[in-house]
Amino acid sequence: MTWVTWRQYRYQGALTAALTAVLAVVLLITGLHAAWAWHSALAACTKDGSCASLPDSNLSLSNTTIAALVVATSAVPLLPGLFWGAPMVAGELETGTNQFAWTQSITRRHWLAVRTGWLLLAAAVLAGAVSALATWWSGPDNALTADAFKANRFDITHIVPVGYAIFAMALGICAGALLRRTLPALAVTLAGFAALRVLTSQWLRLHFMTPVTVYYKLTAPFTPNGSYLAVSQGIVGANGKPLTAGPNSYGYNGAPIPAGCMRFTGSPNPGAVVPCLSAHGYRGYVTYQPASRFWAFQGIETGIFVVLAAVLLGVTFWVLKRRDA
Amino acid sequence: MTEEGHRMTAVIETSGLTKQYRRVTALSDCTISVPEGRISALVGPNGAGKTTLLRLLAVLAAPTAGRATVLGGPPRQDPAYLAEIGFLAQEIPLYRRLTARDHIGIGAHLNPRWDGESVRERLGGLKIPLDRPVGTLSGGQRAQVALALTLAKRPRLLLLDEPLAALDPLARRNFLAALAEAAAGGDLTIVLSSHLIADIERVCDHLILLAASRVQLCGDTETLLAEHRVLTGPRKDTTAIARTHAIVREDTTARQTTLLVKLNGPVIDPAWAVEEANLEEIVLGYMSQDDAGHGAGPADARLSAIGGDR
Repeated sequence: MTWVTWRQYRYQGALTAALTAVLAVVLLITGLHAAWAWHSALAACTKDGSCASLPDSNLSLSNTTIAALVVATSAVPLLPGLFWGAPMVAGELETGTNQFAWTQSITRRHWLAVRTGWLLLAAAVLAGAVSALATWWSGPDNALTADAFKANRFDITHIVPVGYAIFAMALGICAGALLRRTLPALAVTLAGFAALRVLTSQWLRLHFMTPVTVYYKLTAPFTPNGSYLAVSQGIVGANGKPLTAGPNSYGYNGAPIPAGCMRFTGSPNPGAVVPCLSAHGYRGYVTYQPASRFWAFQGIETGIFVVLAAVLLGVTFWVLKRRDA
Repeated sequence: MTEEGHRMTAVIETSGLTKQYRRVTALSDCTISVPEGRISALVGPNGAGKTTLLRLLAVLAAPTAGRATVLGGPPRQDPAYLAEIGFLAQEIPLYRRLTARDHIGIGAHLNPRWDGESVRERLGGLKIPLDRPVGTLSGGQRAQVALALTLAKRPRLLLLDEPLAALDPLARRNFLAALAEAAAGGDLTIVLSSHLIADIERVCDHLILLAASRVQLCGDTETLLAEHRVLTGPRKDTTAIARTHAIVREDTTARQTTLLVKLNGPVIDPAWAVEEANLEEIVLGYMSQDDAGHGAGPADARLSAIGGDR
């Protein structure tokens, strides 16, 4: 059955390997360039002691280049599920070849298990390889901007892409088995994958663990160490409740300015309002997931996607055994 | 052979087999028996349930009601059972981008008693290339590849759904000859569905006739031929004939009446010219009965009821 799987997927496999190689070359070239720029900028700034204020431009990668590469890399875990997973069962049902496959001397369960196993492995290896490259590639940028925990960096590095790829593959296979047609299965895979990814990265991930909240004096601003994940931030008043300014009133970081401090707002030194706000009991707060939780979060998110994949595959096995070919 | 004898060696034995899709009944109360070693023709109009019956036997579908015993057990998703049956679907599904040689390899990996050499020989004899993607072969060539692959499994029961449809007349004859040869050993049983009664008449020694989702006839062709006669005579009342025999079909022109009857003893009335019926006449006779399934009883019971009405 392994041999059979190989025979059927070698062209797709070769094509995917070629496309991945292209992406890898682009990542390598830009990554090497960025690393070189980073190291020469570091060398230069250590000499004159200006390392604290290194501008982004020292990476010599424009933001659009970075954004384009991030998008391309984010799509990688979806592709195997879309182009191998969705047609795996649906394509056979559409052409009727399942009638050939399922009347050989192996059970449907065996047929499904071996194919699914190899495709999952291939998807995981592909996503893992690209993720390793992306992790390396985003190193200088992360060192400069401490973005590692933010969406679009967290999502394309380390182990989560492997979880995404396994989930996308399982979703594609399951949708194909349920819908029995490749095109709708493709659409469902795309939509389902995108929806779950947005949901986790924009909302669920912020709450994997109870976030830490730090209150600070406005006169001594606080920024968490390293690559943290911000959940929310703003100003609380004397009563400790977050403040929000009305749409047309003066505000400081989103908080309304009390009447007693209004006289500072027009002054030549806008910073003069801060000690006044502080005196009125205003404090800043930041709610965040500390950088130290990075690996725990990578593990939790990967786990969620893998468990969902297992459920989808369970459904697929059940459907394939019970439904008519 | 006696009824008891058949039962002892029946390869397929179904009772009340029914397949219901959401609104459509594809097969209804199908009770048949096919003895070992027979080449059985499964005939009937389009939509009669032939494909459904074959798919149920090949475990590609599960029945809604009734049961089947094939080679001593129920059809099931089990390697041992699947190894015993060979199934060829009507649309001749093969992996279009793979070559015949790839398919031989697939068969070798998925079947315990695979005879890849026989495929190479057969296709070599037919000058069908092994190295071209099967999608680039002609319909007839693809059918030959699929048939060769099905035979290479060395099944004990071969289920073929319209295998002749894609073949030209010569290929048809060669294929039927190959089937007859494969079955000559006596331990291979074949059920093939077809519309081409004249073609399969030569090789088939058993017949199952499905119409309107029901079994109309099931038996050895010899028996069926012996049981049926075509009666021709001047146009007259057929009540006397219907009293003894079952009238399957009645054609009346201005001057003469032609009857297909299932005999129940000799025809005594000398006004009728009695001739042997061929298989095609029998099959067409039963197929043209316009009973859209009001009767629920076995074919014989309904036949006598029809005869009695006339």
